[in-house]
Amino acid sequence: MIVAERKPFDEIVEMVAPYKKVLVLGCGSCVTVCLTGGERQAEILASQLRLAGRKKGLDLSVDFDCITRQCDREFTENLKFDPAEYDAVLSLACGVGVGFMSGVLPDTPVLPALNTTFYGAGVAEGVWEEYCHGCGDCVLAWTGGICPIARCSKSLINGACGGTNDGKCEVSQDMDCGWHLIYKRLQELGRLDELRKMRPPRDWSKNRSGGVRRLSREEMAEIAQESAE
Amino acid sequence: MQKADLTSRDIAELGRVTELMEREWSPCRYHCPVHADVRGYIEAAAQGRFGEAIDIIRENLPFAAVCGRVCHHPCETNCRRKDVDDPVAIRHVKRFVAELQGAEGCTVHKPPAQDKARVAIVGAGPAGLSAALHLAKLGYRPTVLEKFPIAGGIPATAIPRYRLPLEVVQIDVDWIRAHGVELITGVEVGKDRSIQDLLGEGYEAVLVAAGLAASRTLPLPGSDHPRVHLALDFLTALNFGDRPDAGDDVLVIGGGNVACDAARSCVRLKPAARVRMMCLENEEEMPAWEWERREAEEEGVGIIFRRGPVKVILEGDRIVGLTTRGVTRVFDSEGRFDPQYDDTDLSDLQCDTVVIAIGQMANMGFARGSGLKAGPGGRLEYDPATHQGSLPNVFFCGEIVTPPGSVVEACAHGQRAAKAIHMYLSGKTIQIDDSLPPYIDTIQPETAEKVLKVCRQAIPTDPPQRRRKLFTEFERGYDEPAVLAEARRCMNCGSGAEVLTDKCAACLTCLRVCPFDIPVVTDVARIQSTLCQACGMCIAECPANAIIARGRDVGELVQHTAAALAKMNGREPKVIAYVCGHHAGAADWGGRVEGVEGVAEIYLPSTARLSSAELLHAFENGADAVIVVACPDAADRYPQTADRTRRRVNQARRLLQEAGLDGQALQLLEVADQGRQAIRAALAEAAGKTSAS
Repeated sequence: MIVAERKPFDEIVEMVAPYKKVLVLGCGSCVTVCLTGGERQAEILASQLRLAGRKKGLDLSVDFDCITRQCDREFTENLKFDPAEYDAVLSLACGVGVGFMSGVLPDTPVLPALNTTFYGAGVAEGVWEEYCHGCGDCVLAWTGGICPIARCSKSLINGACGGTNDGKCEVSQDMDCGWHLIYKRLQELGRLDELRKMRPPRDWSKNRSGGVRRLSREEMAEIAQESAE
Repeated sequence: MQKADLTSRDIAELGRVTELMEREWSPCRYHCPVHADVRGYIEAAAQGRFGEAIDIIRENLPFAAVCGRVCHHPCETNCRRKDVDDPVAIRHVKRFVAELQGAEGCTVHKPPAQDKARVAIVGAGPAGLSAALHLAKLGYRPTVLEKFPIAGGIPATAIPRYRLPLEVVQIDVDWIRAHGVELITGVEVGKDRSIQDLLGEGYEAVLVAAGLAASRTLPLPGSDHPRVHLALDFLTALNFGDRPDAGDDVLVIGGGNVACDAARSCVRLKPAARVRMMCLENEEEMPAWEWERREAEEEGVGIIFRRGPVKVILEGDRIVGLTTRGVTRVFDSEGRFDPQYDDTDLSDLQCDTVVIAIGQMANMGFARGSGLKAGPGGRLEYDPATHQGSLPNVFFCGEIVTPPGSVVEACAHGQRAAKAIHMYLSGKTIQIDDSLPPYIDTIQPETAEKVLKVCRQAIPTDPPQRRRKLFTEFERGYDEPAVLAEARRCMNCGSGAEVLTDKCAACLTCLRVCPFDIPVVTDVARIQSTLCQACGMCIAECPANAIIARGRDVGELVQHTAAALAKMNGREPKVIAYVCGHHAGAADWGGRVEGVEGVAEIYLPSTARLSSAELLHAFENGADAVIVVACPDAADRYPQTADRTRRRVNQARRLLQEAGLDGQALQLLEVADQGRQAIRAALAEAAGKTSAS
């Protein structure tokens, strides 16, 4: 899932400063699970903003709402408050939600209350860690399920660099060397031969460098088109 | 039972979340014959809201004060706490609030207009008066006719005063009468006026609730002796201040509750006398409640099992004994009463007085001149579904048509009859829906072992040596601290968590924070009501606001806080204290305990359900300082609460500081288990610091 963390409060206050009526909008998916952007966090942030507004003598009114996902248009029908009645929407979604809602609400500025940080998994209660970069060309099949793009600081594809040091990365002694992990894992699996295989060059165009990525599922997209016609 | 999913839309349509409680009852309520909202009134009592508690009780149970003394309390028998330690002493909590509030301390729900039909009710016992009350509330004009000079039925005339003082009965009678129920005592229907007379006088229906007013007797040779008493007459005479003639060696025939009452009354009449009970049944079969029998034995009553009476032995004009025979069985293979005797096993028991307490029967005198038809077996025709007899406007309720039961069962039957009369007089077909919602099952052992054990408050009782001599009450009842402590033992069954499936993100937080390991997350979180302990931990932590408590309306605490702050207007600084009231009261809810000047205390059953968002809202609503009075580790009724409370207070402090407020305006005091004085002192000190800063 997408993991995000809340922006520093002062930054948020600065963002909403030009507006008098703000709707804090939570997202009921990934950011609810990582405890940063669900309805409860929206409620808390709204409360904090009202308190701060009062303290600073600002003319600021804040409500909160939450929808199942901010990355699909249909869920906006479940909004309890009408964003059109607000000067700004302060979104607690990941960047996807913020960006998408900006398109859905053309007349209302949508501001990000979170910094979207990574694709991660819950490794312990209340702790999430990065597992994937969304590079568009998955290699996990031959890297023992450990992603060199996400777990190697340099996203190297051909093994560890010279900076590997007793299993740690030269970037930080607290960080495991991704390629060291891959090697150990393949060793455990008895699959070190995977590393000897010749691989064609990676197609980095599927990563960000190819521009905005898009997925179109023919079977659904076509139906949608037909029904639109 | 497969439970339907609940969504936020359902909640919006419900109006009040607490209506969810109607979908599945706690076993105390289900098993109560009048289905009183036991959990509701115990919770009110736990918070010291005694006026509210008695009103909740009286909503379903007109004889609240009487039942506080003598109820057979199926609520307690079925209390889920029995599988943890001991059931909550529900009857004693009821007794305390009913007698504290009296008749004047209870709300009277008299409708603005009582202009519907007049209904005559024969008999002012629990069944008759309950029916009268129900009809009065519906706008009818009920008149209750009672042959005795006092109202109350058996509780007033035959339950011994040491168990039930008359003034306690009077509380209920007075409260019922305040609803516009007319009471005429000293009139015996069938003798002074007939049912036909009543129907001719403008009463549009008659309800016979005459009860079982006569003792069954035995055709024993010698039973016409003046020292052979019938139990009911004997007890009634005592209650009216007479002293029936009893000797020094009393034998009570019978093994039921009335027999116990008669035997224990004989002990009090002559503490030096030997008093024994003799019954057909063995120890296990004996029909008296276990506690009645135990109390009788404590007072020195002997019990002789498995003997049947044959004849009273007379010497001259004195009774010297009773010939008895062995009993080979009491019930047949299908459990019907069908005693068989061994006539070769005869023996004599010495005694000089005999009390026959083998059951009661109806006195059918009321039927004289009524035109009511008798059915098979000499009983009057009666349809249990509609309460009607052979005349459509003559109804029956109570023990005259039901097996002998307790006060609360009679109340229930009276209420049902009133519904039938209402339908009849409204020109409708009489159809009463007796269906009930399901109730929550027994607590599972793996959950029970995680519940904090709390001893049942001891009930102060006179020692048997003392009570043997006195007709005054022997069971003292709780004082206020004991009632509060006992009511707080209630586990709030059925008021627990519900997941709003449309909001749940399956984030697993509830599963991780539940101290009882109840939630299961499949597609969304599922929290089984039969297992949930209603601590509220998951509600406070859910990041999706997807969990609600059935027993609490959403936003209840925030609104309550806002109201408390509004009341403090003009006062600075305004301090809100959220007090875990599990060990000692909060000075909220009617000021029954002394508070601290300038601090509005708000009772919480535990801080488990207090969220960091709610702490922020208190500041938003105008609090200058908020103090959380929590229990330290292991003292809270729910495991892990202290740790969670600390984390939430710390989180809320950080959030306040971010918003430019002083984080120290939020304080945590872990003294909630140290008694009211300590709480008060700690609050005063903390509030003092606040005003100084």
